[in-house]
Amino acid sequence: MTAPVLTLLCPLAGAAVLALAGRHLPRRVAEVVAVAVVLAGFVAACAAWAGFDGQSRILHLASWFSVGHLAPSFSLKLDALSLLMALMVSGVSALIHFYSVAYMRRDQGFVRYFCYLNLFVFSMQTIVMADDLVFLFLGWEGVGFCSFALIGFWSEDAANVAAGRKAFILTRIGDVAYLVALALIVTSLASTSLTELNARAGLLAPDMVTLLGLLFLFAACGKSAQLPLLVWLPDAMAAPTPVSALIHAATMVTAGVYLLMRLAPMISLSPAAMLAIAAIGALTAFFAACAALAQHDVKRVLAWSTVSQVGYMFLGLGAGDLTGSFFHLLVHAFFKSLLFLGAGCMITAMHDDHDIFRMGARLRRHAPGVFAAMVMGACALGGVPPAGGFFSKGRILFAAFTAPGLAERLLWVLATAAALLTVLYAFRLVFVAFFGQPAGQGGPEALAPVPKLMLAMLWPLALLALAGGALNLPGEAPWSGWLGHVLAGVPGVAALPEDNEALVSALDALISLAGLLLAWRLWGPKNLMDWRRPAALAPRVHAFFLSGWKLDALYLAAVARPYQALALWLWRDVDGRGLDGLALGAANLAGNASRSLRRLATGRVTATLVMFALGLALILLIFSVRAA
Amino acid sequence: MNPGAATTVFPALSALLILPLAGALVALALSRDAASCRRLALGVSLAELALILALPLLNGPGPLHLAEDFAWISAMGARYHLGLDGLSYVLVLLTAVLQVLAVLVSWREVERSVGFYFFCLLASQASANGIFLARDLFLFALFWEFQLVPMFLLIGVFGHEEKRAAAAKFLIFSLAGGLAMLLAIAGLGLAQAGSTGLPNFSLAALLAQPVSPGLQLWLFTGFLLAVAVKVPILPLHTWLPDAHTQAPTAGSLILAGVLLKTGAYALIRLALPLFPAAAQAALPVLMFVGLLGLFYASWIALAQTDAKRLVAYSSIGHMSLVVLGAAAGSPLSLTGSMFQMLGHALSTGGLFLMVGMLSERAGSRELADFGGLWRTMPVFGAFFLFFCLAAAGLPGLCNFPGEFMIIVGTFKDHPAAGAAAFAGLVLTLVYVLRLAAAVIFGRPGKKARHPDMTFREVLILSGLTALILLLGLHPQPVLDLLTPAVTELLGAREGLP
Repeated sequence: MTAPVLTLLCPLAGAAVLALAGRHLPRRVAEVVAVAVVLAGFVAACAAWAGFDGQSRILHLASWFSVGHLAPSFSLKLDALSLLMALMVSGVSALIHFYSVAYMRRDQGFVRYFCYLNLFVFSMQTIVMADDLVFLFLGWEGVGFCSFALIGFWSEDAANVAAGRKAFILTRIGDVAYLVALALIVTSLASTSLTELNARAGLLAPDMVTLLGLLFLFAACGKSAQLPLLVWLPDAMAAPTPVSALIHAATMVTAGVYLLMRLAPMISLSPAAMLAIAAIGALTAFFAACAALAQHDVKRVLAWSTVSQVGYMFLGLGAGDLTGSFFHLLVHAFFKSLLFLGAGCMITAMHDDHDIFRMGARLRRHAPGVFAAMVMGACALGGVPPAGGFFSKGRILFAAFTAPGLAERLLWVLATAAALLTVLYAFRLVFVAFFGQPAGQGGPEALAPVPKLMLAMLWPLALLALAGGALNLPGEAPWSGWLGHVLAGVPGVAALPEDNEALVSALDALISLAGLLLAWRLWGPKNLMDWRRPAALAPRVHAFFLSGWKLDALYLAAVARPYQALALWLWRDVDGRGLDGLALGAANLAGNASRSLRRLATGRVTATLVMFALGLALILLIFSVRAA
Repeated sequence: MNPGAATTVFPALSALLILPLAGALVALALSRDAASCRRLALGVSLAELALILALPLLNGPGPLHLAEDFAWISAMGARYHLGLDGLSYVLVLLTAVLQVLAVLVSWREVERSVGFYFFCLLASQASANGIFLARDLFLFALFWEFQLVPMFLLIGVFGHEEKRAAAAKFLIFSLAGGLAMLLAIAGLGLAQAGSTGLPNFSLAALLAQPVSPGLQLWLFTGFLLAVAVKVPILPLHTWLPDAHTQAPTAGSLILAGVLLKTGAYALIRLALPLFPAAAQAALPVLMFVGLLGLFYASWIALAQTDAKRLVAYSSIGHMSLVVLGAAAGSPLSLTGSMFQMLGHALSTGGLFLMVGMLSERAGSRELADFGGLWRTMPVFGAFFLFFCLAAAGLPGLCNFPGEFMIIVGTFKDHPAAGAAAFAGLVLTLVYVLRLAAAVIFGRPGKKARHPDMTFREVLILSGLTALILLLGLHPQPVLDLLTPAVTELLGAREGLP
């Protein structure tokens, strides 16, 4: 049972070493420490998985504090869900740490970078494995801080820091719901254990369960960048690209949906909360897919795409299919980190230019490997059979299709439309960035070489993205449905009915192929239309989606700016002119009053004390006279 | 008085008062020699700390309870009665820790009248200890008033550009509040005069036998005025931003870490349990002003341009949460309030220290002058970010357990207030991030290039950092000290002897 603990603590040890001694270590040593601890965590996670006997366990490490009924502890829940998730997190983290060594090779702040990155892995594994909801919250806030610090990593640019603050504050708004839910749980169950909560959820009033479900949903919306709290993620792309791959694609943004998966046994008792999860997911999937279609910045395309794909995970979970949702979570982690790491290579080649319209065919000729990897990633993202995304997204669409109720059916329609948009923006990215002819569009003269280490990290992810479907193939074959079998013992997992599955899958395949052809026609090299045409046809629509449905501007105008303006008003007018003046007057009055009351108080020493106080006032008077 | 209290041969509790007081007088006598004044102050602070750490050894089995009780002014019914339970111990210990840091941080900052300076610093420790230990209301009032003098002098003599106005404001507010309490104490003592006709100031006796509800309301109001000035509670807080801004660094540290705590302590130890009926009636109001203070101060903090003023407003916000927890009155929320006093002292104290170190170098506290310190002073930047996170209440750091207990404890009976308080934590994060962004991030401002932390400064900050992590990750030893005190105080509030 030590292996899961090592998975958790190795990255923490690395962060501690780097924080305390990193400045005095040679660069290579610091890099080795940072990568080695994460690699060790991955090995430990593999060992934990290999030694897992299918039996869910709670590992109590230490108690945190204990007052009355509130007794949070450092305890882990080890079952198929958490161990698989830990395996994915540590594996992807290890690849991205390697990649970072090359990506950050010229940056002076590498110690700080790797310290945050190690701390992030620790915090994320805490979320993954914690059984205690307060302990989980430690990881939950920890990833929020690391995300803030890494988004604003290049802190000399105020815009980066502002993006980090925005991310931290918006996720913290979601956390209010988490804490309120936690307070409700403590007061009604006198426990903070996830397992206890799930086991005793049946004893709670149905309205209470719904309320808890909705509160946790809101918290998850913050972390996972879903409606209405999603506006921070596109700005978070100010972070170094490996960070975007790790934190803002593969792991932290899925923490919200993972939390809901952990709570599935409780939440599934409330049909209203389940429907809300599904609805948020489908709406966000569609909302973000529209926005992704309009972006020019390669990282922003991928950011909106992440928001959209996490929306699918919410939809799957809300439709009652935890397996499908988790399936998509894993496959998405592979293909999205592949796409981000590929984007990092593209950006490196382009001397830090992010605009896909300035890249074009020369980038394909310059870095054919990156091109190949991006095509594979786009296939997986767009759900082109037989890439991984086809199976995982298909499973979620099927779950939404089979769920009872008209509302779910409508959500299925919305999500299917979003699937068409997905394949469109995925291949728009590929075609524009690798086949375009950006003559006269600016951009660098000569492209920069891409470090081999960065390229090397693409291939394991590409393999996982393409073959990820094998985790849970449909059908009756012996190798089918592996993930479903593994997760069968996890509470909250339900099986899907199987009729019409072939029909829905065929529809998905048709949509992705049709989308691919349409993208080729719109943005391909031999297209009949000018590459700028789709945007030029409706510039205002394009601008609307480019800005993310103007949601960010709305929040800025309705909340952020008034909040700041009111702060100034409160300070200058209410606190300064109002209260301060009033209170000074009142204090003077009270002073006068007590001077006259003094005569009423008997007791010589009391009077002496008053004199003592008045004596002080005299000192003060002398001071003010001397000052004047 | 207290049958369970251990009586000791060595008057340890008096020693807690006498040691700093004697140190203060010696510092005054030595004032020609600045270097030996510093060494003396450090030695006395460390000795005091060691003494406090050794105190539990004098205690028998069972919860911590030490006492010294002698007849004093018999004509007045006043006794020299000191007592130490878990709550007092924790606060006295906190005072001693901050005192060591205050001496260290003043090592270079204060160049003139060094002896007088350390006299004030050590005298303030003696008075604070007196407040935390007194079990006789008369004695308590004496220390309460006495405490104003050293702090007034620290601000008024050793402060910054507008020190006199700030010190005057501090004194006027505190005196007004203090006089109200003094009258209430006199009234209470007289109302409880026994058959001898002598007033009764013994805390235990007064707790056992509350006065009539009608009188309670008046006396409680008197106490509350003094407490509200000192904590501070809205709307009597307006002296605090000025006092903090103008005080020298160590003054701000003691002001935030100790003086405000005496206010909250008086609320928890005296005002609420002595007048249970009046307190019960006032609780909704107290909870409301607590919540209001959290939002109001956090909101205003965002608009500040002076770094120290920003931290001062954050101090009001944090202390408002302490008031909320004390008023909500569940065991959990009260424990949280006590714990939050410690957390606030460390996190806010750390921020005050760092702003002080910065203004010592730059001669400015304006946020606009700084920025980009990550680049120019990386060690400073790392510590500053850490204290910012502690102030924002991140789990694992010192403010989280207290805030969490306060709000969960409040939530049980007052879910709306609890939920609102959670929302208030967002406002905290907003100004904390602004502070961090303005000081350490961005392009280096015009006054951002200075030498990084010295060894002495790193030592101070590392000590604080270790304590912040300890309280955040392993709060249980402190909570174990507080729990018996909470039980006893809540028992008194419910009218039980």
